[in-house]
Amino acid sequence: MSPALLSVEGLRVGFRSADGGVVEAVRGVDFCVAPGEAVGIVGESGSGKSLSMLAVMRLLGAPARVTGGRVVFDGEDLLAADEKRMRALRGRDIAMVFQDPQSSLNPALTIGRQITDVVRAHRGVSTGEARRIAAESLERVGIRDAGRRLASYPHEFSGGMRQRALIAMAIACRPRLLIADEPTTALDVTVQAQIVDLIAELRRELGLAVVFISHNLQLVAEIVDRVVVMYGGKVVEDGPVEAIERAPRHPYTSLLKACVPSLSGPVGPLTAIEGAPPRLGRLPAGCPFSPRCPDAIEPCASQMPALVTEAGHRTACWRPR
Amino acid sequence: MTGPVLSLRGVSKSFSQGGLLDRLRRRDNRLVALHDVSLDVMRGDVVGIVGESGSGKSTLAGLAVGLAQPTSGEVLLDGQSITELMRDHAGPWRRRVQMVFQDSSSALNPRKSVARCLGETLALRGVPKPQRESEIVDLLTLVGLGREIGPRLPHELSGGQRQRIGLARALAMKPEVLIADEPVSALDVSLQAQVINLLSRLTRELGLTLLFISHDLALVRTLCSRIVVMRKGAIVEQGPCLDVLDRPQHPYTQALIAAVPKGLAGRRTPLPVRADVATPKTREDIHGAA
Repeated sequence: MSPALLSVEGLRVGFRSADGGVVEAVRGVDFCVAPGEAVGIVGESGSGKSLSMLAVMRLLGAPARVTGGRVVFDGEDLLAADEKRMRALRGRDIAMVFQDPQSSLNPALTIGRQITDVVRAHRGVSTGEARRIAAESLERVGIRDAGRRLASYPHEFSGGMRQRALIAMAIACRPRLLIADEPTTALDVTVQAQIVDLIAELRRELGLAVVFISHNLQLVAEIVDRVVVMYGGKVVEDGPVEAIERAPRHPYTSLLKACVPSLSGPVGPLTAIEGAPPRLGRLPAGCPFSPRCPDAIEPCASQMPALVTEAGHRTACWRPR
Repeated sequence: MTGPVLSLRGVSKSFSQGGLLDRLRRRDNRLVALHDVSLDVMRGDVVGIVGESGSGKSTLAGLAVGLAQPTSGEVLLDGQSITELMRDHAGPWRRRVQMVFQDSSSALNPRKSVARCLGETLALRGVPKPQRESEIVDLLTLVGLGREIGPRLPHELSGGQRQRIGLARALAMKPEVLIADEPVSALDVSLQAQVINLLSRLTRELGLTLLFISHDLALVRTLCSRIVVMRKGAIVEQGPCLDVLDRPQHPYTQALIAAVPKGLAGRRTPLPVRADVATPKTREDIHGAA
């Protein structure tokens, strides 16, 4: 087994609740990302997918905080690193792209200034050299006439171009890991397809490892090697993309696939998952999906099944399919 | 043969852009959101309106429900012009055409309970007070909710439940035409199917005419009998849903279909070498044999 670039072990994130207790939103999450590997993290709102990655980047804001576990990046425990060290790593070794490109950019500064700031902070190069790198990065993400576009302000860019600019900023320092948190959710479908292709292409060419967070399994399956499925703050399934797509073992993964209609095949009522996603603080002691699961049996609601590995495919279920 | 229940005849809608200064300088920078759109919706039709942001699909919804007036052209309900119907305080029109909005949390008053919200709507329809309570329970049942939901406030409901209340409020008016503007796009995938199945059942059972505005072609395919594809304020293609999606004629429809995520089938990069065989290490390995 190749040593992992990123390894998340037993990660827990909690919020202080009104009554002074702690409500956990991420409840013991484990997964690894190998160098150059693309991993999709799939889950609905409240599944803990974004919080987990914010914890990895040490970007959690109060009242959320890490309550347990380890995050190891390239042999270094990030949760033990001081803020100065984290500032050096963020943007240089690990870069992150967020959902809303509008709010990730400073509206008062040019695109060029924002990219050169990142480059100068991490690479200690001259302003001229930083601008050259910035232009090269913009060109790399498919923005034409990049040299001139450096002088543009965010409002002069379309939504898709803004997300490209943020990706340019993310790759400008040649990171080894790119975390993309729902990078296409705010974009139109045709632009979404372009951005996903761009990330796949950059990954191949730069040998980047990618963590792609999304609620859309179909989208993720187009570009990742492995899919981690989260529900109720836990990893419920983690396997190679083909296994997850063709033979998912956890009922949640299988229903998630079934409830999204496709553009081919017969038309009929959709397979629905009854009930609603769990609320934090009201999670069952056992499997978080058990209240909605058609396959649930006696121990499901009371005992959390362990993640069992079989041929590189992990499933946490008492009755895997 | 009866005519269309809702029709748009050469409808255009433009908005003025810029502030007061621009207007004083008589700068003509109007944004044309809809340009010469004609559309007939027959009774009982379930029509999907698709397009990207800026295509004019939500503007069209606003005009159809009477929230805005066309700049030119006419919107007709059963052959009667919206402008004439609006003169009567828009009452009859509003009753017959109802809308479900995208964001259920901002479409409901956060300080009114579900029962009060539905009760006020029923009062507008002229339902006498003693009957309201039983009608509220009927409406809740219709959208698959229990009567215990009645006293709750919107924030105490899940997104899926809130969207059902939005639907119940629209149905309280006993409308003939229901316009749903991206009703499930703010919902988690596991809840989308519930609401789509509910819409499908209600249109069948109540004989509703539905305009379903969405950017999700696969959902439209599941729910709708007809599809209208819009781009930059104009209709570029329309027809029976399956015909258009299986054999799209317009390049824009083709592009929209090509952009839908297709899972493994949509992969443009080769499937990874299995971890138990080898992990790609070099750039050449990652590139593959291609």
